[in-house]
Amino acid sequence: MNPLRDEISRRCFLQRYSKTFLGVSVLGLATSPRAAENPAPRARSVIYIYLRGGLSHIDTFDPKPGRPEMGGVRAIPTRADGVQISEWLPLFANQMRHVALVRSMTSTQGVHDRGNYLAHTSYFMTPTISHPAHGAWALRRLGSINPLLPGNVLINGSSQHPGSGYMPAHLAPLPIPDPAAGLQNSALPERVTEADFVRRTQLAQALGDDFLARTPHPSAAAYRKVHEEAVSLMRSRDLGAFDISQESRRTQEQYGSHTFGKGCLLARRLVEHGVRFIEVEEGQNWDTHNDHLVAMRRMTPSLDQTLSALIGDLHDCGLLASTLVVLATEFGRSPQISETTEGRGHHPSAFTWWLAGGGIKGGVVHGKSDEAGHNVAENSVTMPDFNATIARALGIDLDHIERSPSGRPFTVANSGRPLESLFA
Amino acid sequence: MIRTCRSSTTLVIFAAVLSGIEMPAAAQSPDFQQQILPLLYNRCFSCHSEKAGKPKGGLRLDSAEAIRDSGVVVAGKPEESELLTRTALALTDKRHMPPLKGGSQPLNDTERDLLRRWIADGAKTGAWKSFAHREPAVAFEAAPLKRTDVPQLTRRVDELVEAYHRAKGSRLNAPVGDEAFVRRVYLDVAGRIPTLAESTQFLGSKASDKRAKLIDTLLQSEAYVSHTFNWKADLLRLISRGIPGQPAWMYEDWVKESIRSGMDYDKFVRNLITAKGYLWENGAVGFYLRDLGMPLDHMSNLSRVFLGTRIECAQCHDHPYEPVTQRDFYQLTAYTYGVSNLYSSAGYSTDNVKQWNKLLVLMKDANADEGLRQSVSGTIAPLKRLTRDTDHLLKYPETYANDVKARGTPVECRTPFGDEAPASADNRREAFADWLTSPRNPRFAKNISNRLWKRVMGMGLIEPVDSLSPVNRPEHPELLEFLTESFARLGFDERAYLAVLLNSRVYQSESVRTPPEPGLPFTFQGPLLRRLSAEQLWDSLLTLLVEDLDARKPLQGDQDSVIRERLVRLTNMTADELLDLSKKMAEFRVIQRKHSIEVEVLKVALKQAKEKGDADAVRKIGQKQAKANAGFEQMKKAYDTSLPTSKKETDPRWTKVSPLWVRASEIRTPIALGHFLRQFGQSDRREIDAFNKSPNLTHSLALMNGELTRSALEEKSYVRSRLIPLNDKNERLQGAFLSILARRPTADEAARCQKLLQSSPTPEQDLLWALLNSPEFLFIP
Repeated sequence: MNPLRDEISRRCFLQRYSKTFLGVSVLGLATSPRAAENPAPRARSVIYIYLRGGLSHIDTFDPKPGRPEMGGVRAIPTRADGVQISEWLPLFANQMRHVALVRSMTSTQGVHDRGNYLAHTSYFMTPTISHPAHGAWALRRLGSINPLLPGNVLINGSSQHPGSGYMPAHLAPLPIPDPAAGLQNSALPERVTEADFVRRTQLAQALGDDFLARTPHPSAAAYRKVHEEAVSLMRSRDLGAFDISQESRRTQEQYGSHTFGKGCLLARRLVEHGVRFIEVEEGQNWDTHNDHLVAMRRMTPSLDQTLSALIGDLHDCGLLASTLVVLATEFGRSPQISETTEGRGHHPSAFTWWLAGGGIKGGVVHGKSDEAGHNVAENSVTMPDFNATIARALGIDLDHIERSPSGRPFTVANSGRPLESLFA
Repeated sequence: MIRTCRSSTTLVIFAAVLSGIEMPAAAQSPDFQQQILPLLYNRCFSCHSEKAGKPKGGLRLDSAEAIRDSGVVVAGKPEESELLTRTALALTDKRHMPPLKGGSQPLNDTERDLLRRWIADGAKTGAWKSFAHREPAVAFEAAPLKRTDVPQLTRRVDELVEAYHRAKGSRLNAPVGDEAFVRRVYLDVAGRIPTLAESTQFLGSKASDKRAKLIDTLLQSEAYVSHTFNWKADLLRLISRGIPGQPAWMYEDWVKESIRSGMDYDKFVRNLITAKGYLWENGAVGFYLRDLGMPLDHMSNLSRVFLGTRIECAQCHDHPYEPVTQRDFYQLTAYTYGVSNLYSSAGYSTDNVKQWNKLLVLMKDANADEGLRQSVSGTIAPLKRLTRDTDHLLKYPETYANDVKARGTPVECRTPFGDEAPASADNRREAFADWLTSPRNPRFAKNISNRLWKRVMGMGLIEPVDSLSPVNRPEHPELLEFLTESFARLGFDERAYLAVLLNSRVYQSESVRTPPEPGLPFTFQGPLLRRLSAEQLWDSLLTLLVEDLDARKPLQGDQDSVIRERLVRLTNMTADELLDLSKKMAEFRVIQRKHSIEVEVLKVALKQAKEKGDADAVRKIGQKQAKANAGFEQMKKAYDTSLPTSKKETDPRWTKVSPLWVRASEIRTPIALGHFLRQFGQSDRREIDAFNKSPNLTHSLALMNGELTRSALEEKSYVRSRLIPLNDKNERLQGAFLSILARRPTADEAARCQKLLQSSPTPEQDLLWALLNSPEFLFIP
């Protein structure tokens, strides 16, 4: 018997089970305040993968075979006709029929935090307003699928994530700093027994009663309520969504034992449990100013492993059709390798992001960079355009205006227009 | 809550005005100046006043005569008055007023009713003749005051509050008891709960002036510096790692030192506005570096923080709901526009390196190769970032709509209210600072007086605190006027001013335990019940874990002084010395690269060994890595590039506790997302006051199971060590209550606790846990 197949069928069974008995998908529709704003949303959930530091495009998804800029790195064919990628991503090449590469990304922001901010919000960073990231928008416009779990989760996120910006704080992503540890502080500490916990909770309730009785303040009452919710979450089965140790060893190995592997595995579990938006930050530093090729040789294998495991797994489970997977980074890297540092510098004028699943055509390439990967040669795409594509896949109305508390009007992707040709 | 509460600012302003003290009964005619003028100001004046270059449709509403002649108001006949009827049209109707496209809010029913009644009653404007678009300067000639005058000022505040209650038929809450007072004042001034020893000492004192004494002691403490820093950091958006390529924490250090040394508020602001030099010479230049290349946003924030005035709408177009034009905005920004780091790349240039010309010659003479040139460039990089004045002039944008001919022409400096402050390119910032910080400025002292009032009372006398305008009248104008004048007469001494507020009867009353209705003003019964900020919570929990918490500074302090010394040395080097240093650094970089490649190779090998499960190889590679790193550290010392690393805590008070347990003000920001402070809503400092106090589930999880609670419960924790000397179960129960809530248990609570803890194997842990998880812990009483 093929153990892998068995594993898949078990999980796919669970998926169906959860649909039937936990009411996940039913609830999803029922609790979405605006189920369909745009034509035929295909993506129910998003897994947004972010590579911090600025991923070199020509060494990965936009190789330039034979060019001196490649520093000897070769290109290999993929499962998609005529699409080549770097030899450093052989496993991912097998998944290329699910992926739409956008090789004509371009931006004007060449500093890390500003590029990162534009990528996440579609707006330039300014000190007078802070804009929400995709996840907050998705939750704001579409609501939670599973009301028992947070709808917006950030795994291994950086401290500079824009979060909910001007939108209310409850739309900000719940941060999971360590995917292996799951939801922070949700387990009883060592040496504390269930009996201890019950006793202490009772005492806390008893002590709190007086205070609440003479404090008719909604915030005080709300703290009693979140305390009760936290206690029930600690005991609930839904907490299992955060526990990747429930996956088979084989699945865990497929994703990889590093933070990114665990993060993506957790993301897949959260999608299964009806979480709307999950961002996973890759933990390695792609800011390869020094000795670029050596560093890339070290970092790409784990990236390759996890990305291909994620797409393959989602597909095998039948979740890829309703899950949009996105890969983004703040900019590309200069095609020219520096003689002194053997590194590549920041390069916002041309780089690659990609999408897979969620109603996006696979095995295609949108746009083109020039022969050395310096500039965009065809069909340039801005970060707001790309983000409009994500919003369109989810069925978020691109023209809907949200106002900041001071009354300033904003839209989900600024003035970006979606890449209609990528929709299947 | 800040983010959610600010919604529909304008509506809040109106409601505040509508519910003003002289709110007439429904049948009475509305008061023009109190009730109608604010409506016209916020909904009409942008287009229909003298401020609009060409009033739309030729209609002006900013004088009694203009209103009379306008034709849109038919006295006694609301249904024939367009002023009213056009506001009632369907929102989709193009003729609807105010035009919603520009961002204005439609009038609500209450507002329309007000207009209707006013017109029905004859549209009287009373003594009002016309609206003064330029708010006048305030007269200020009062004699200076000293700290010894505080009691007398407090008495006057008490009288004014009493007069308010007499007029309203309301009264103060009951005087607050010592227990709630001690917790409140520690949190408000020291930013943390009192320790067991501190609350015991205060509660045991019989001195009649013990509250005033405690207030003075706390205002002079290091804890006050820490707490005040957090407050200012949120306003100024301080981020320790927020300036590319520069040690931004030096700006933070400067702000801390300004608080510690008691720099008067007007001098503080003046020093920020006029700051120049390198960051390590004058930390105040961080004020400009924080908004690198964003002169317009910088002025928006400056105006909001120091003048309580929001003008950011006018960055790009005339303000849609206040008569503030884009020209006003540009004229104000013209004062600071010339600062090198604001407008352009001039702030980062070899022109700022005084040794540069000589260095060029030296490099030419030495036939410097590319490697050396790059090294020179790296060496002098910090010196290129200089904050100074330039003669650069702000110009009207190419999109400027009000005067097409003005596009691209230089903008003259002009203040929007108060005194005029003419300036030329070479004294712009001084002139601006003079005007800004003068007691004659109608909004400068008022803004800070109001903000500090809010800081301790929970709500401003004017809300929102950044909506000062001639029509947004405070609930108690005499009081705000008195406070503003007193603060200025105290020479802008923040501690003295806070002492006035903290000693007042209204502060020392029972708190108001229900939140105010949105839009309703402060009622002067007592301070509002507030949730502790993230910083207050963190610092309070650490009070239970770390002895003498306020005195503890992070270990990286040693590194900081090395970095500072190096930068000062670099600044004072001759060109020859800089070249020598660059040569040395070029050598060092070669060594560094060799090392980093070695490290890379070992990393790859380690990864492979781990995958194979070869424990022996893993160990050997680990040893090699350690050796390589040690050798490199030696090399760094030889090249003077090493920093004192991983210093161990040697102070016996703190050797047993985490090195990360220092007050929130001492932690570098932005802090990682999973950190306790971020969980509880610490601001990310992108925007002014972007903190958040709304409850969420992770708060409860952290307090139930998190590291700080766990540590407090440990047998040897600081809080438990203080309970040991107490005599019996009862005293220890009291001790636990005092340690966490700064109060003794009621008889009823004590009985309940004894009963529930009777059979517990861990009674003390249970009690501490329960107190930390009771909502009372999270609020300032």
